[in-house]
Amino acid sequence: MADEPQVIDQPASKEIIAPGYTFGTVTDQIAAVVLTKKTPPLFWLGSFAVGFGLLLLFLLAVAILMVKGLGIWGLRSPAMWAWDITNFVWWVGIGHAGTLISAILLLLNQQWRNSINRFAEAMTLFAVACAGMFPVLHLGRPWLMYWLFPYPNTMAIEPNFRSPLVWDVFAVSTYATVSLLFWYVGLMPDLATLRDRTTDRFAKFFYGILSMGWRGSAKHWAVYETASLLLAGLATPLVLSVHTVVSFDFTIGIVPGWHSTFFPPYFVAGAIYSGFAMVLALAIPLRSAYNLKGLITDKHLDNAAKVMMATGLIVGYSYILEAFTGWYSGNVYEEAAIWNRMTGMYKYHYWTLVACNVIAPNALWFKKIRSSPVILFIWSIIVLIGMWLERFVIIVASLSQDNLPSSWGRFESTRWDWATYLGTIGLFLFLFFLFIRLLPMISIFEVRTLLPQAKVKEEQPR
Amino acid sequence: MMAHTVDFRIPAELLTEMRGWRTKALGIGVIGALLSAIGFFVAGPNQFYRSYLWSYIFIVAISLGPLAWLMLQYVTGGAWGLVIRRACEAAARTLPLTLLMFLPIVIGINNLYPWPHAEIVNADPLLKHKAPYLNVPFFLARAGIYFAGWLFLSWWFNKWSAKEDAEGHDAVHSKMSRMAGPGILFWGFSVTFMAIDWVLSVDPKWFSTMFGLLFIASQGLTAMAFLITLMVLLSKYRPMSEVLTHRHLHDLGKFMLALVMVWAYFSFSQFLIIWAGNLPDEIPWYLTRLNGGWQFVALLLVLGHFVLPFALLLSRDLKRNFKLLASIAVFILVMRFVDLYWLITPSFLKQSFGLSWMDFTVPIGLVGLWLAYFLTQLEKRPLMPVNAPHLEEVLEHGRD
Repeated sequence: MADEPQVIDQPASKEIIAPGYTFGTVTDQIAAVVLTKKTPPLFWLGSFAVGFGLLLLFLLAVAILMVKGLGIWGLRSPAMWAWDITNFVWWVGIGHAGTLISAILLLLNQQWRNSINRFAEAMTLFAVACAGMFPVLHLGRPWLMYWLFPYPNTMAIEPNFRSPLVWDVFAVSTYATVSLLFWYVGLMPDLATLRDRTTDRFAKFFYGILSMGWRGSAKHWAVYETASLLLAGLATPLVLSVHTVVSFDFTIGIVPGWHSTFFPPYFVAGAIYSGFAMVLALAIPLRSAYNLKGLITDKHLDNAAKVMMATGLIVGYSYILEAFTGWYSGNVYEEAAIWNRMTGMYKYHYWTLVACNVIAPNALWFKKIRSSPVILFIWSIIVLIGMWLERFVIIVASLSQDNLPSSWGRFESTRWDWATYLGTIGLFLFLFFLFIRLLPMISIFEVRTLLPQAKVKEEQPR
Repeated sequence: MMAHTVDFRIPAELLTEMRGWRTKALGIGVIGALLSAIGFFVAGPNQFYRSYLWSYIFIVAISLGPLAWLMLQYVTGGAWGLVIRRACEAAARTLPLTLLMFLPIVIGINNLYPWPHAEIVNADPLLKHKAPYLNVPFFLARAGIYFAGWLFLSWWFNKWSAKEDAEGHDAVHSKMSRMAGPGILFWGFSVTFMAIDWVLSVDPKWFSTMFGLLFIASQGLTAMAFLITLMVLLSKYRPMSEVLTHRHLHDLGKFMLALVMVWAYFSFSQFLIIWAGNLPDEIPWYLTRLNGGWQFVALLLVLGHFVLPFALLLSRDLKRNFKLLASIAVFILVMRFVDLYWLITPSFLKQSFGLSWMDFTVPIGLVGLWLAYFLTQLEKRPLMPVNAPHLEEVLEHGRD
């Protein structure tokens, strides 16, 4: 085009996008992953196969669960929920990073979010889907789950609004809805790009329907900008509210070790901590496999690692305060609950989680560690394990040894606990790699705004 | 070194103004302090120390909170950090005065806290249990550690910032950024345990894991409200009139809104969890604060410390309006006093709401003296860092 502004050689910020990209090459590279007719790379095939295999395991585990009942899990008095609620909290927590990146970092004008928000939001959706499985399956008769909603019915059944578990239903379903809308609205311009680029008739039809007639007119963009800001505003409180309500599941009860006033922010920090670990665990292999190091740069990994460390330190603060207050309270049950965690039946779990969540994140103070993708990948896996153990210890250690020693008992997991948990990891991988294959994993148009060419245009008088 | 067009040194006109403010603050401070000293003998030492404690916690927030913002802006960067940096540094340099003002608490420790009294501790197994932590030598040792850390951080950041002014940022900026992370960590832990030591232990039977976080949030809020007020005041004079624009103010206003929300979130979570649990060792603290007239103070906090500022600060236009934002900031500072009063005083006056005339003279005296010292510190350096990285961008950011 004749009136296209002059291209500046150096991009505005070298760190969040590699030099040399143009509008065309950004679009080409991201769209090619989806539009290629070639067999996807071995990394994709392998991950998809693992995901699909574990998904089959999940279906098997659920089928057996339907036939035989909840007893196939290790649930025995006094621990009447264990892995199921642990997995629920773990998966919901992972979702939080996606919302933080897409909503809060958008409101804070953090441009580095532009190339990681799309797949992080997809991660949120699939993580919430996996999370939703557990409370529903734990109902025993999951086909009656609609009873959880306060709909007018002839049975005179109303959910008990005093129960935080009912709050969960609203918190998580609102979260899933807003996340889906936000993700989909953000996808529309890119879906239109794919529609215009594909040569396949079926794909053209598919992307054409989904892009809802997006033509990229100025009016479309104006409406789009307003909509995404409004959705970001709506999603921001959800980053806090969902895990706050999840923490109420425990704190509103008066079980020692659960009833702690700082659980809401502590759970939120833990959620973002594990979520950023999952973002890193996905981004590091993806950018290698698809040669996206120019778009997801070392700076992105560094920033994500810093957020992970900051939230990890808050989690560490919480463990220290929890232990201190356990003693300071002078309450025999609170003190015993903390003591049991450290020295009781689950002491190995406890000390492993301390190593994973309190000691390990401190390595991220060093730039050397933050700038090595391999170490960061290993670290993110350590964090994910640590955060799973944290929820397990909080939940099961408190239930196994509560106020009444005569009712103490040790929870033992069964192979069906493992099968269901691994099965949801399969569901997650299956959905995520379908997404990688079918939709642009990086937001094309938002990355284009990072280019120096876009910068010049923006500063011209309107 | 990048050339900039604004001279950041304090011009003579502003200097005269600031000296005028300082004289007024000093005068009010001295009058407040004298009246309080008279009150010490008239109304008795107990009332003096009670009024002193919560007023002093406000002084800690207003001198230490800016140190946290100072460290945070080294970690995150951003234009907002550069415009408030000098004010934060000056506030951090008032920490020696804050240490001096701690002395009455040391002297009045027996009047303020139940746990230094051996006969009370021996009669109560719970206090006996806590004695390894709640005892006078350890209390003083901990206070010593907090102040040593705070004074060190204040000294370090002021020293290197002066070096940056003199020699340019390449040499020192990364040094400050590297110290800022551990500094924030120390600040978080020290404020938490400070809150437990100085405030929570007034009622040594009660505990809450949220308490430290509540003070972390409210220190940030107090500091931000104070900094906004100061910035708006300075924006009437050169050089800040040429630097500070509504865009900087908008960023600071967003922080204030966020902290109003965080304060409400922490306070409400703590209340909901304790209220729903209704356990005998937790609920009395709230029963005291929701009966005998205190419930109206609590309601005032809900409305004045959350609903009103929250609703107003949502507006983008308001956050860009110097006068309005400053009025809300001042209002929030008043609410901070009310909140501290509500947190601390009911532990002394178990039965019903009460207010002494010393609850006005002591805070006025302390704030007046502190402000006078703060202004002395503020005039010592140019109002903007001269050689900071991205200085030109910051000035540009403001120009739209």
